[in-house]
Parts: sequence; C-alpha cells; structure tokens
Amino acid sequence: MPDRDRGGHFYSGLQHRPIAGCTTPSLSHNAGSSAAASAGIAQTEKSMFQFLFDVLIRSVDLALIAVALSAVYSLIKFPNVALVQYAVVGAFVAMSLHAAGLPLLVAGFASALFVGLLAVVFNILIFERLLKSDSAIALIGSLALSMILSAVFLLAYGPTAYRFKLQVSPAMRILGARITDHQVTTLVLTTVALGLFALILFRTSLGREMRATATNGVLAAATGIDTRRVTNIVVFLSGMLAALGGITLAMRGSVSIDLGTNMMLPVFAAAILGGLGNALGAVVGAIVIAAAETVITNTNIGPFIGEDFYFLPASYAPVASFAILVVFLLFRPRGLFTSEVNRV
Amino acid sequence: MIEATNIRAGYGDGADILTGISLTANRREIVTILGPNGCGKSTLLKTIAGYVRPRAGTITFDGTDVASVPIHEKVRHHKVGYVPQTDNVFGTLSVSENIMLGARLLGRQEKEKRFDALMRQYPALASKKNRKASALSGGERQILSLSRALMAGPEILLLDEPSAGLSPLMMHEVFDAIAVIRDTENLCILMVEQNAFEALGIADRAYVLSLGQVALTASARDLLDDPAMRKLYLGAEIEPAA
Repeated sequence: MPDRDRGGHFYSGLQHRPIAGCTTPSLSHNAGSSAAASAGIAQTEKSMFQFLFDVLIRSVDLALIAVALSAVYSLIKFPNVALVQYAVVGAFVAMSLHAAGLPLLVAGFASALFVGLLAVVFNILIFERLLKSDSAIALIGSLALSMILSAVFLLAYGPTAYRFKLQVSPAMRILGARITDHQVTTLVLTTVALGLFALILFRTSLGREMRATATNGVLAAATGIDTRRVTNIVVFLSGMLAALGGITLAMRGSVSIDLGTNMMLPVFAAAILGGLGNALGAVVGAIVIAAAETVITNTNIGPFIGEDFYFLPASYAPVASFAILVVFLLFRPRGLFTSEVNRV
Repeated sequence: MIEATNIRAGYGDGADILTGISLTANRREIVTILGPNGCGKSTLLKTIAGYVRPRAGTITFDGTDVASVPIHEKVRHHKVGYVPQTDNVFGTLSVSENIMLGARLLGRQEKEKRFDALMRQYPALASKKNRKASALSGGERQILSLSRALMAGPEILLLDEPSAGLSPLMMHEVFDAIAVIRDTENLCILMVEQNAFEALGIADRAYVLSLGQVALTASARDLLDDPAMRKLYLGAEIEPAA
C-alpha cells in the first residue's frame, strides 16, 4: 500500500505560498538606504518569479484535466463530471503499482493506459446510451458515476490521504524561486503530454478526423469517418490525460477521495474560460484560473484590515475559480475564444 | 448502379414518409429527384445514403445489398460521395484540410495527384486553400464540398439540393460543375433539387415525388418539353432551356 499522508489537508501547488507571499509592503519598511532599496527590489523580483512559478505549477495542475474535459465535450457535447474522478483513479492505480515495485514512469504509464480504457468502457456502457436520451441526462449520469467512483475509493482506500514513496530532495533556487524536482518533473510531463496531444490534433490525419468530428459529426460521417471510433479514441486520450493530471498532482502532494471533488470547480472554470470544446483554449483558461487563485492567496491584505501582514488561507483559492466562472457564465458563456474558427 | 425497390422509410416512431418508392440510376447519368416540400425527396436521398435505415424494401449498389449499411461505411467501402444540403464544409478546418479529409484512404502520391487536379479544376479554391472553410462564400463552399467528395474517387455521387442558398450566378456555376463531373468522372449522380428548371437542364432523367411515392418518371428533356407535365408537377409556366 502507498504511504498514508500525515500532513493534513491536501492542496498541491499552494503549499509554499506564505513564503512567496512577502511582496511589496517590505519595500516601504526598507526604504532607508540605496543598499536596502536594492535588496528590496531583488526581494521583489524573487517574489515575482516565485509568484510566476506558482502560477505555472497551478496551471499544469489544472491544464491536463481541463484539456481532457474540453476535448471530450467537443465531441459528445456534455461536460463529463466523472473525468475529475478519472484523475483520482489514475493517481491511486499508479500509486498502488509503484508501491508494488514498478518504476514510477512505468506505473504512471500503465495507470494512464488503464484509465484511458476504463473511460472508453464507461463511454460505451453508460454515456452512449444516456446520450440517446439527452445530454442533460448524460450529465446527471456522469455525476452519478463520479459519486460511485468516490464510494469505491472510500471502500478501497479509506478516507486518509496517500503519498507516493518518492525520494525528497532539497528545493533548487532558480531566479530566486524555490523549485522542487517533483515540480520540474510535473512541468516536463505535462508539457510533453500536451505537446503530443496538440501534435496528434494538428499534425496527423487522426487529428484532422477528430477536429472534423468535433466540428460536424453528421458531415464527418458523410465523409466516411467512423465518428464512434473517433469519439472513443478521444475519450481514451482524455482518460489518459486526466489520469496523468491526477498522478502529477499526487507526486507533489497526496491523493485522497476528496481530490476529484476539490479539482472539479477549478477544472470546470478553466475549461469554460477556454471555451468548452476548445481543448487548447482550456490551457489558457487554466493559466487564468491559476493566476487568480495565486493572487488571492499570495496577496497581503493586511493593510486593508489594520494588520501588517494577512494572507488568505489556501482554502480560499476556489473563491477565485467560482467568481471567474460566474462572471464568464454571465457575460461570456462561450469563453475567451468566441471565434468558431478557434474551436477544435 | 443504384437500384432501390419498394422503399418504405421514416424517422423514429413516426409514420412512413416514403411509402414504396422504387428508382434506378446508372453510371454516367444524372438523375434528379423533384417534388414539392415535404414529399420525401431528402428522406429518399438520406435513405439511399445510409442516414436513414429503410423499414422495408431493398437498396443495391451494383447488385450488392446496402440497405442497412451506414453512411460512413458506404463512403469507405462502396465508393459513395455524399454532399449535404447545408453545413457541408468543416468551417474550423482549412480548405485543403477539408479536401484531404476525402482522401484518407488513398496513397500519398494519389492524394497529391488528385489534389493538384482539383486545384487546377477549381482555381477559386486553389487561391484560398490555406484559409478556413468558414471564410468561403456559399458557392465556394458547395464546390469545396463537391471537391471533398470527389477526392475519394467515388462511383456514386449523392447531392442534396446543391443550389440551396446560392445566387443565380453561383447556382449556374455549381450546376455546370456537376455536369462536367458526370461527363469526365464517369459517375452515377443522384441529385435532389428544389430548383427543378435548373436541375432538369443538366439531368438525364427525373423522378417526381408526391406524398412519399413516385408520381412520375421521365427523361429530363421530356419533362421540360411537356407543358402539361411542367404545369402539373413543376407547378409553373416555366420555359424549357434553349
């Protein structure tokens, strides 16, 4: 079994925010001499790099699952809530395989394959049938599946959080920002996964079929495309992306049955912001949500409430997602990229 | 080439829209299906294409039963090209990507050869091959849709109202292109059309439908030349083509 987490509530990517949070107020206290001013500016630059890095890491937390959600939506026209739980399945399976002795990379890849296939099985057994009725019915079905998966996790793993058995090395300092090797691994894995997905989408005939099916399924069939096969390939790839998202999250923190529920709101906000159905738009949505969350939890609001320093706890981060989600649903429901041309 | 016998078809649990239709269409022939709105023209084409499964009757292509074969398999295995009435291009894809979608089963050299031939045939598309298809005019979209269907080298071409939404000038261009395709590609073309006068101008034979049945079948020339038939089935004192 994987290690149980002793560290309390999981919220990866936000762990070191109090360190990064000492921003501009320190300048005013150190303005006495030019040396002190230079030190203050250097400190501000460090904080800025740390802030940017925090945003980047939080973006990749959200991006893989948001891209998966958006890609599936582009074809089957309903937001599959269960996708966030696929991320949890991916994390638990990879953790179990790793604990059983498989190297992390092999365990992660095997887990992503397993979740991809599981997503296809669920699509064929459940969602294809529900979609014959209505997309709203399919949405409710995906919520039900999500709850069932949560219950299965609870039975199998209990309510505690688990961690990968990974060696912890000291954080590096790059441009003043504190960066761990697991964060670097996450960045590399996410970049490679999204790069491969974009390569398939825009540089292969399969990608052309995927985009054609997403644009007009009826016409795609009239062009000889087996739209059911293409849809299941996208569901498979989305399952793999979501699993990878869960694994990278767990690598830097822990995984518990709450992970899916915690990720649901920011992931949906990112996907909607990018324009549901626009897979790569979801990456931009993820960056915006990550920046908003990081600003909320890294900004010193002390001066506004009569304190020197006061930072909102990390648990307030979802407020940013919620606020952005509501604003966009009200004023720009098709997301940042409203042009039909940009949709894939 | 195409032989449909006693076709009955409809949508979902609804009543039959086609109530026993039979038709034939041969190679190097344009057969047009005419009739008033709601007579079942498009349903007949969709049934032959494979979007709608017939409740009764047989459909064969060169003697092979294809009544229950879905559209994507007809395109892949039975050399069928289908051009829908509306939404007939992939707006998010470029013009060349749209055309290449029709060539998925061809080898690389054959793809390039056909693509180049189509670009020479339709220079208006060639000059816009890297633009998104959503930026094309209605007539250009129709030509693009035809080109995509032709890329696969079909033997049967099913056209659903190719003149829908086009200006008179563009309509002539599209009909001229269809006639050229029949003559040069040796195809069997089955075309549903509202614009009876223009369709009969390029067609070899016509079926006139009424209430889900074939009310009349005749050569296009006969239909155009007979004032009584024109008035009865085409609903106007139209003048035959010069």
